Amino acid sequence: MLEVKELRKAFNENQVLDSLSFRVKPGEIFSLLGPNGAGKTTTIRILMNILRADEGEILYNGEPRSKVSQRKFGYLPEERGLYQRATVLALLTYFGTLNNMSRHRAEIEAIRFLDRMGLVEYTEKMVNELSKGMQQKIQFIASTLHAPEILILDEPFAGLDPVNQIVLREIIRQYQEEGKIIILSTHQMDEVEKLSDHICLINQGRVILDGKMEEIKKQYREDAYYIEAEDDLGFLHEMEDIEILEEKNKSCKIAIKNMNGDFKKIISKLFSRATVKKFYMVEPNLHDIFIKLIQKDNSQASK
Amino acid sequence: MKNFFRIARWEYMTRFRSRSFLFSTFILPMLFSLLITLPAFFLTYEEEVSTKLIGVVNLGERSLVTNLQKQLNKNFRLKNGTPEYVVMPVSVDNSPDYKKAHSELQTMQARMDSITQAYNAIKDLRVQYYNRRNLPNKNYLLQKTYDEMVETRELKDLIEIELETHQAQLDSVFNSEARRAADSLLFKQVLNAYLVIPEDIEDNSVIEYHTYTPGNLLEAERLHAVLNEIIIEARMANANINTRQISEWLEPVQLKKYQLRARGEQEWNFYVEFYGSIIGVVLLFMAIFTSGGFLFSSVLQEKTNRVIEVLLSYASSRQIMAGKIFGLGFLGLTQVLIWLGIAALFVFLNLFQAGQIPYLNWDNALYFLLYFCLGYLLYAAIFVSIGAVFSSEQEAQQINLVLRTLAILPVLLVFLLLKEPNSGIIQVLTYIPLLTPYFMIMRISQQGALALQADIYITTVILVVSIIGMVFVAAKIFRMGILMYGKKLNWKEIKLLLKTS
Ligand SMILES: Nc1ncnc2c1ncn2[C@@H]1O[C@H](COP(=O)(O)OP(=O)(O)O)[C@@H](O)[C@H]1O
Ligand SMILES: [Mg+2]
Repeated sequence: MLEVKELRKAFNENQVLDSLSFRVKPGEIFSLLGPNGAGKTTTIRILMNILRADEGEILYNGEPRSKVSQRKFGYLPEERGLYQRATVLALLTYFGTLNNMSRHRAEIEAIRFLDRMGLVEYTEKMVNELSKGMQQKIQFIASTLHAPEILILDEPFAGLDPVNQIVLREIIRQYQEEGKIIILSTHQMDEVEKLSDHICLINQGRVILDGKMEEIKKQYREDAYYIEAEDDLGFLHEMEDIEILEEKNKSCKIAIKNMNGDFKKIISKLFSRATVKKFYMVEPNLHDIFIKLIQKDNSQASK
Repeated sequence: MKNFFRIARWEYMTRFRSRSFLFSTFILPMLFSLLITLPAFFLTYEEEVSTKLIGVVNLGERSLVTNLQKQLNKNFRLKNGTPEYVVMPVSVDNSPDYKKAHSELQTMQARMDSITQAYNAIKDLRVQYYNRRNLPNKNYLLQKTYDEMVETRELKDLIEIELETHQAQLDSVFNSEARRAADSLLFKQVLNAYLVIPEDIEDNSVIEYHTYTPGNLLEAERLHAVLNEIIIEARMANANINTRQISEWLEPVQLKKYQLRARGEQEWNFYVEFYGSIIGVVLLFMAIFTSGGFLFSSVLQEKTNRVIEVLLSYASSRQIMAGKIFGLGFLGLTQVLIWLGIAALFVFLNLFQAGQIPYLNWDNALYFLLYFCLGYLLYAAIFVSIGAVFSSEQEAQQINLVLRTLAILPVLLVFLLLKEPNSGIIQVLTYIPLLTPYFMIMRISQQGALALQADIYITTVILVVSIIGMVFVAAKIFRMGILMYGKKLNWKEIKLLLKTS
C-alpha cells in the first residue's frame, strides 16, 4: 500500500500542495484528477523522488519513500521526451539497464513490449523516424520495462488516438490484475470513468474528494431518471414534483423533486399516460461532479 | 553508483559514433595544422629560391658598395650556388632635377677650370718677369701682374664657393632623387629593400634600411652584420691597418642557441618552438571544447526534450551530472590519446624527427593529459551549470556562440604573449584557473617542464581547488536548473539557490 501523508510543497511563495493525503492499495487503479495547475504533476514528481516535499511523508508498505528502491517505480512523465538520435532498441535497453536490468534482459523485454504494442518492426529505427503517437508508446514501454511494482503515469492518454487509448487501457488493466499499484493523473474524465476504481480530486493542492468510484457516484446521484416512450411526453410538463432536465421528442430526463412525496404515485401516473419503452436511473456523470465540486471549491476559496 | 557508469557509457557511446566527433578528432586538427604550417612552408620555400635585389643609395665612398657585394656573396648563397643578394646602386641619371643640377655643376666646374688656368697663367708670367734681370719697366710690370693676380684669385675664391654650394646642392638632389627612385623600385617590387649609406659613415654610424617587411628579422640581421663588418674594415683601413689582418680579426663569432631541457640540451629552432606551442595550445582548446561542447548540448537537449525527467526518475541528479561529465571526459581523453597515438606513429614512421622537436616526448604527453583533464573538469562544471540554467534551444544557440567566442580568448592571449614567455604577466596569468591549462601547455613546450616544476605543482593545486569549488556550485545549479521548464533561472533565483540548498 502506498500512503501519502500531509504533503506540503511551495515554489517560492506559491503554495502548490497543501496537506495532501491519500492512499492507494495494490490492484486498484488510482486516478489523480484536477484542473491544470492543481498540483498533480508536482505530487507525482514528489512520489518519484524528483522533487522534495517541504513537509509530509510517503510510505510504501510502511517503509518511508527514501528507503524504497527507485526500481520499484515506473514513471511516465507528463512532458514526453526521448533521445531523438538513437534507435528504439538502444534507447529502451539503456533505460532498462538504468533500472538494473541486464543488457540482455532489457533487450528481450523491450522486444516483447514492442511486439505487444505492434511496434516490433520499428525496433532498429531511429526514434525521430517515428510518429508522435508511436514515440509515446515507446515512452510508455520505457516506464514499465523493468516490471515496476508501482506504475505512475502522468496524463497517459494525452495525445493518443482512440485505438491506442484502448490498447493502453488494456495494458493498464493487466497491471491491475497483477496486483500492482497504478497511479495516473488526468483531467480527461471519460477515461477515468472507464478505467479507474479509486479517484482523488484535487484542486489548488488540496484533496476535495477521495473515494471509490461507485461510492462517489452513489453519493452524487441526482435522482434523475431517463424515460423513453412510444408516445409524446408533453404531459410531463403538467405534472407536479417533476423537473425536466433534458427533453427530446419521445425521450426525457427528469428529476423527481420531492422524494418524500408519493414516489409510487408519480411512477404509476407516468406509466399510465404513456407506453414506456425504457425507464432507468441516470448515473451521475463524473464530469458534472468534477465541475460542480471545483466551482464550489473555488468560490469558497475566493470568499 | 552503477547508474553513474551506465550514464557515462551512454554519453560516451552515443557521441563517440557521431560525425562531429570524427570531424573534430581528425579533420579539424588536420585543417588547422595545414593552415598554420603552409604559410611557414612557403616562406622558407621562397627564401631558398629567389635572388634578392638590395638597392643602395650611397652618399659615401664607392668602394663600400663593392665591398658589401663581396661580403654578401661570401656569406649567403642559394642552394644552386648563385649569390642570394645582389647589391644595386640606385641610379638617378634619368631624373631631370638631377640632370639640371649636374649640368649647372659642370658649367661651374668649367668656369672654375678656366679661372684656375688664367690664374696659373698669370702666376707663370710673374715668375718669368721676376727672373728676367734686365727687363725694362720690371717694377711696373710686376706691380701690374700682381694686381691682376689678386683680382683673379678673388674671383676664383668666389667661384670656388659657388662650386661648393652647387656640389652640395647636387648631393642633396641626389639624396632625395635617389631615395625617390629607390622607393619606386621598392614599390614595384624590383627591390626587396634598399639601404641609405651616409656620406660620413666614418663618423656617423647610421645606415637606413627601407623595406616593406622590417619585421623580417632574419634579413635585417644578416645585412646588419655584413654592413658592420665592412664599415669597421673601412675605418681600420683608413687608419692604415693591414687589410688581410683586418678580415682575420673581423671573422664573426657565431651564436648557436641552446636551451636547457629535461633530456639534455637541444638546439633551439624558432619555427619548431613557435608552431609547437601554437599547435599544443590549440589542440588543448579543441579537446576541451569538443567534449565540453558535447556536454553543454547534452544537458540542454535533455532539458528541452524532457528526457531529463525520465533520467531523474531512475538516477539522482548528482549521478546524472557526474555520469555526463565523466562519460564525455573519457571521450575527450580518447580524442587526446588518438592524437598522441598519431604523433607517436608519425615519429615512428620518421615523418617528424623527434630528436629535432624537443617537446615531443612522453613526459610532455603526460603533462598534456594532466592539463587536459584538469582544464576539462573545470570547463565542464561551467558548461553544465550554464546548460542547466538556459532552457530554449534558441537561447542555447546564442549562449553557445558567446561561450565559444569567450573561450577562445585565453588562446588568443597565449598567442599575444608567446613572444615573451618569461615576462611577469605570463606568470600571473598562469595562475588564473580558466587560463592555467593553456598557459602551462604553452610554457611547457617553450621552456621545458624541468624549468617549471614549481609552477606545475602550484597550478595543479589551484586547478584542483577551483574544480572542487566549481563542481559544488554546478551540482546545485544543475539540480535546480534542470527541472525549470520554459523559463530560465534569473540571477536572483540562482543566488537564492546557492544560499539555501
Ligand atoms: N519547478 C517549478 N517551479 C515553480 N513553480 C512550479 C514548478 N512546477 C510547478 N509549478 C507550479 O505549481 C503549480 C502546480 O503545477 P502542476 O503540479 O504541474 O499542476 P498539474 O500537473 O496539476 O497541471 C502550478 O501553478 C505551477 O505553475
Ligand atoms: Mg500536470
